[in-house]
Amino acid sequence: MSDLPAVIISGLVSGSTYALLALGIVIIFRSTDTVNFAIGDIGTMSVFTAGTLISMGLPVVAALAAAIVVAGLAGIVTERLLIRPLGHGRHTLFVALVITIGLGLLIHAGIFLIWGTRPRPFPVLLTGSVTVLGIVLPWNKILAAGIAMSAMAVVAWFFKATPFGIAMRATADDPGAARMIGINAGRVSAIAWFVGCGMAAIATFFLAAESSLNPNLTLSAVFRAFAGVFLGGLTSMSGAVIGGFVIGILDNVAGRYISASFRDTIVFATIVLVLFIRPSGVLGAGRKERV
Amino acid sequence: MNSALVRRSMVGLVGVGLAIAFGPLRLAGDYTQFIVASLAVAFIAVLSVNLLAGLCGIWSLGHSAYVAIGAYMAANLTPMGMPVELIALLAMLCAGLVGFILGLSAGRFSVLYFGLLTMALALVATEVIGRWTAVTGGDDGKKVAHAISLFSAGPIASSNAVVICVLLATLVYLIADVVQTSQFGRRWLAVKGQRIASMSIGLEPHVENARAFGLSAALASLSGVGMAYAISFIDPVAFSLDTSITMIVGTVVGGIGSAPGALLGAAFITAVPELARDARGVADFVYGGAVVVVLLWLRQGIVPAVHAKLREIRGRKRNALGAQRQAVDAAGISALVTRLLPAAKHTLSLKNVSLHFSGLKALDGVSFDLPAGQAVGLIGPNGAGKTSLLNVLSGFYQPQKETSVSLGLVDVLAVSPSGRAAIGMGRTFQHAELFPELTIREMLVTAAGLARPLRLRHQITLNDPEQVADLILEGLALQSYRDAFPAELPFGVQKVADIGRVLAIGASVVSMDEPFSGMDEHECAELRAILRGMRAAGVSILIIDHAVQEVLDICDQVVVLDFGRLLALGTPDAIRSNAAVRKAYFGSMQLQGDMQHG
Repeated sequence: MSDLPAVIISGLVSGSTYALLALGIVIIFRSTDTVNFAIGDIGTMSVFTAGTLISMGLPVVAALAAAIVVAGLAGIVTERLLIRPLGHGRHTLFVALVITIGLGLLIHAGIFLIWGTRPRPFPVLLTGSVTVLGIVLPWNKILAAGIAMSAMAVVAWFFKATPFGIAMRATADDPGAARMIGINAGRVSAIAWFVGCGMAAIATFFLAAESSLNPNLTLSAVFRAFAGVFLGGLTSMSGAVIGGFVIGILDNVAGRYISASFRDTIVFATIVLVLFIRPSGVLGAGRKERV
Repeated sequence: MNSALVRRSMVGLVGVGLAIAFGPLRLAGDYTQFIVASLAVAFIAVLSVNLLAGLCGIWSLGHSAYVAIGAYMAANLTPMGMPVELIALLAMLCAGLVGFILGLSAGRFSVLYFGLLTMALALVATEVIGRWTAVTGGDDGKKVAHAISLFSAGPIASSNAVVICVLLATLVYLIADVVQTSQFGRRWLAVKGQRIASMSIGLEPHVENARAFGLSAALASLSGVGMAYAISFIDPVAFSLDTSITMIVGTVVGGIGSAPGALLGAAFITAVPELARDARGVADFVYGGAVVVVLLWLRQGIVPAVHAKLREIRGRKRNALGAQRQAVDAAGISALVTRLLPAAKHTLSLKNVSLHFSGLKALDGVSFDLPAGQAVGLIGPNGAGKTSLLNVLSGFYQPQKETSVSLGLVDVLAVSPSGRAAIGMGRTFQHAELFPELTIREMLVTAAGLARPLRLRHQITLNDPEQVADLILEGLALQSYRDAFPAELPFGVQKVADIGRVLAIGASVVSMDEPFSGMDEHECAELRAILRGMRAAGVSILIIDHAVQEVLDICDQVVVLDFGRLLALGTPDAIRSNAAVRKAYFGSMQLQGDMQHG
């Protein structure tokens, strides 16, 4: 157990990716009541685009920015063409969820068609590594965690301090009242989808650098992000972030001390257990029922 | 009922006929046989997902895991000499148990969480299958021995496994059909449509969801059993998240909550990969495109969309008949209620009811009694705390510690919201909150079915749910609407049906949330008769309403709330002349005159 601090640090580093994705999921859910199952595929598509741009000579940093913009725009288009026409209502929740599954399939197939099935190498922003408490952390991973945390800080500031962010929170709390005081709901949704998918692009960008560029890049990360959302609640932004980090640590601790080959299973079993013991979630998962 | 029996017999016959035709008679070539077997297996899987989505509104992304349970049990138990019949049963038990436990875990949350949890299940299944090689053969897959059957002399070759698949599919259809039209199916539709109202009739949403999830998982496992024998080799790729997603595609395209829809969906997901075998990625394109197109333009899927159109045409005919309702009278209602439920025996006693929402005191030390068989009115300006009080009584809000609510010796606050129907407490809703996917009669039968133990306990001989429902329909003059869905009814009729529901659960202590709001002159008269009849039959009634005149006319006692505090309590006459009430509630209005002539 002497390497516990190291295991936790490395868990925090990978947790930052999950937290970023989880935050994207929650931002989108709060604005349009849509659980976006295509968020990973949108991220992957944007990073494939970035890969093509890099091979055409674009600097890696610029490619990251391009990926964010591509994913964000894809998010806006999705919201406008697939989600908004569904309208509002209780049953829209599930329809919207399933429609994003369909979109995910489309994007996945599109990636196959355009870029083929072979995994491609993906460049890192920083090379080299550093040894912390006995474990080797690549600089690129640390940078990824840094950028993820900065992005989350920016989002926190945006929602706390800027008039538009506050308007967006108001819309999430009560869309009707927000419309009444003149908040443009369409623009709020568009921005939420841009920000949410943009965050997925950042997460995917560094996932690709860690392994390689392949169409199933985000599968396991999105699963862990959803697990984080589970712990934190679908409507709480801070809950999602904390949940993402907790899952990162849990995943690493389980992989180190229990079994490296049953990581998904352990994460999953923990969630089920937690839900049994504390049905309201660790951080009080929101239960929005109206009487 | 008869038509259901005919339908089931027909399907059963067709299933057996197809099995004989493709099996022993060998009327088709190998390829056709294989396609039919695949279709049957896909049908089972899609129907299990479809049933869950239709009856509970739960979308499962993890059903491939249950299919895997069935497949690996077939692969491992067949070499031990176990017959397919027993394996199918064990697989259903095993998958059903896993499903039920998962359902209990996620069911307490919004249905959305099911989607997330089941996706996790699919990924975990992939991991377990990859690592647990002793049972699964890992990524290399596992060979399946020929099936043994209690009804067959020798082992069944994989070329004949189509018989097993078709018979399993027939069985699954029949189970799904029976469940859908049973009490259970209706309960699940009730929970899906109105979670809160379903609790008020005594349903526990998370338990109901878990049951449905367990059943669906059990059915899905049969798809795996059939698949194992039909292909005689298990490839773990068949149980990936992609497979679960394909099942969703089949459900969405064919149509939710419809067995013919599941068949269409199964045909779709069987045909597309067959037709697009040479072009990689094309199947995903077609799947994704089909889901998006269907959801954007046909919302419910192909079969239900056609069905709804047909119903609309028929419905127009019914409405054209002109459903003129008969008048109801208090004496008739009183006689009906006396037959339906026990008279209230105990006083509902509220002491010190306080409810705070982070600092805001919605209710502050309110105490009053609702004596057995009396009507108490609860009035007060907007924001006085009336609805909050009702939600405390129904158990939807948790009051502060000092609060006590008792019905006789029973501590009401210790009873869960779903348990309050069983102690004889019921409520109606301001907006009726009927179950959108149940007809009026189905709703009443469901509620009466849940109230059967209560009626038996009180020695009420009239406890057959169908009989109870028909009596209520007759007594409340709802017969012409018996097979209509709530959305097809005028609002006033919906509210009468809501009262019917509270009678069906046998509640002798009834809280009513604004019964008079939204009712026209004629409906108000009817409601008055109903309330008088109920009280005459010994039902304790708590009426919350803005129609002060109505409340003062009907009630024995009136409670006035203002800003969460008890402002006055007394007989209607005393309240009419109470200066404080007039000042706080009615402002400077010249009330006395209004009231006498109102």
